[in-house]
Amino acid sequence: MNDAMSIPHLIMNASTVVQLVMLLLTVGSLLSWIVIFQRTFLMRRARKIHRGFEDRFWSGVDLNELYREVPPEQETEGGEHIFRAGFREFNRLMPKTRSPQAILDGVQRSMRVAWSREEERLNRHLVFLATVASASPYIGLFGTVWGIMGSFQSLSMAQQATLSTVAPWIAEALIATAMGLFAAIPAVIFYNRLTAESGRMLGKYEDFAEEFHSILHRNLQGRSDAAGA
Amino acid sequence: MARRHARVGYGLSTLLAVGLHGLVLLVSVISLPASDHEPKPSSIVQATLVSTETVTDQAQRAEAAKQRALARQAEEQRQAEEQARQEAEAAAAAAQEAQRQTEQAEQAEQAEQEAQRQAEEAAREAARQAEAEAERRAADAEEQAQRLEQQRQAEEEAARQREKEAEEQARREREAEEQARREREAEEQARREREAEAQRQREKEAEEQARREREAEAQRQREKEAEEQARREREAEEQAHREREAEEQARREREAAEQRQREKEAEEQARREREAEAQRQREKEAEEQRRAREQAEAEMQRLIEGANEPATNAQQGQQAANDFTALVRQAIEQAWRIPPNVASGARVEISVRLGPSGELFVAEVATSSGDGAFDRSAVQAVEAAAPFAELRQLPAHLQREYRRISFVFSPEGVR
Repeated sequence: MNDAMSIPHLIMNASTVVQLVMLLLTVGSLLSWIVIFQRTFLMRRARKIHRGFEDRFWSGVDLNELYREVPPEQETEGGEHIFRAGFREFNRLMPKTRSPQAILDGVQRSMRVAWSREEERLNRHLVFLATVASASPYIGLFGTVWGIMGSFQSLSMAQQATLSTVAPWIAEALIATAMGLFAAIPAVIFYNRLTAESGRMLGKYEDFAEEFHSILHRNLQGRSDAAGA
Repeated sequence: MARRHARVGYGLSTLLAVGLHGLVLLVSVISLPASDHEPKPSSIVQATLVSTETVTDQAQRAEAAKQRALARQAEEQRQAEEQARQEAEAAAAAAQEAQRQTEQAEQAEQAEQEAQRQAEEAAREAARQAEAEAERRAADAEEQAQRLEQQRQAEEEAARQREKEAEEQARREREAEEQARREREAEEQARREREAEAQRQREKEAEEQARREREAEAQRQREKEAEEQARREREAEEQAHREREAEEQARREREAAEQRQREKEAEEQARREREAEAQRQREKEAEEQRRAREQAEAEMQRLIEGANEPATNAQQGQQAANDFTALVRQAIEQAWRIPPNVASGARVEISVRLGPSGELFVAEVATSSGDGAFDRSAVQAVEAAAPFAELRQLPAHLQREYRRISFVFSPEGVR
């Protein structure tokens, strides 16, 4: 009796539809957990890198030096990526135009592109997490409903309707719901947490872009004043 | 500045996720046995089981009591058997002993016969010896006589030559010679016959007489005859004496043998008496034991009857068996999902083999109904109802019987 009611036994004895639902939910749960771990590591690293870059940026180092520290073909991330995109644009525009407004516009545009790329990078797969979080309870519920349907069908066939006739069916049906919730709950929690984290990081990048922009602006302003004079 | 970090890969994350799921699965599998001890879902089957348990239990108790009584009886029987065996052994030993005794007696008899034979032989031997001796002595005497004759002739010649004086001297010499010979004879005879000395004296006297007769030549022959006769007489006497002695000895031996046999017989009888006594005592003990056993049984019976209905144990066992089959049937009926569209006359016989604790070994279709789904549903019903733990509450002999059951399934119910 107890052996028959064990979870693996119930899973193995479930109907095909319910088994498929369970498989789907297991895969969803697995993938969502992969995303959760990967995003968590990525966020932590992005935060660390950004903190290091800001320290270096505000340490009074020459911007040209900072730019030349990294070879241009190497991909950077976070604030550094924004800084390099802006500075590269600034350096390219400087010899071509004398209008500070045009230069600043170009720098701002390129920095926005870089920020957008960073946003895309940070938020990648979080949508999947959201999907798992919202859909898996419904999928589990579908499995449950299907299982209970089967149980009622068997109940109609049984000569005497007892709890033991229905119980295995309901138990295996409810396992589907349990698995749906098992997949959904961590997905919901980590989706919220990771979204908040990524939003915070993007806010920091935006702040940095504004600060860098103001530095460049100040620079151009001084140079145009000198040129004007 | 951590710039040269590679992109965060998915390998580690995958590993972690899989590990997490494996852990969850493991926990769900492992923690389940612990939840086994929680109150089990009580089904109607178990409820009915509880309601009938008392009857089954009573029957079982009665059965157990009966078994105990049986076991005790068996033990007692074994003891009695053992005793009987011991007795038989003792009897066999006694028989052997008796045989041995008879053998001994026979031996004794044989010995006696032998002794008699020996005695006879000895007597014969003695007679033969005596005869031989007599012959030898006769020969000696003859020789002596010859020698004497020769001497006498010589004497005669001398006498003829030297008259009677010389004859006297010769006689003296002869006397000396005779004496020496007598001494020799005495020496020879000393070890054989001590009592014959007197006779020898007599013989010597006779010899002297013969000698004296020899002096008177005419009388010599007579003397010799007398001597011979005397010797024969003596020898006869001697022989008679020896025979008597041999006879006496034989008689003594026979008496001793008889006495020994008598003693043996007495001993045997005593032993037999002792054995009979022991057997009687053992029988008495066995009787007592039997009486005690009967008493115990009666008491047991009374106890059982006092505790239960005045039904007999067999009836109670039957009742328990009926209860068991009813329970099993009920459980199977509850587990049975009759497939739809079954012909009303469908009938399938399922033979079920159970383990000693009621677990299902085999449930197979003995007689098919022709409807595969219906057969399958019946087998599945048995499998679903499977562990029939009530089997253990049956009496032992019924348990063995009921480990092979067959059920007939028809759409109206299980039979």
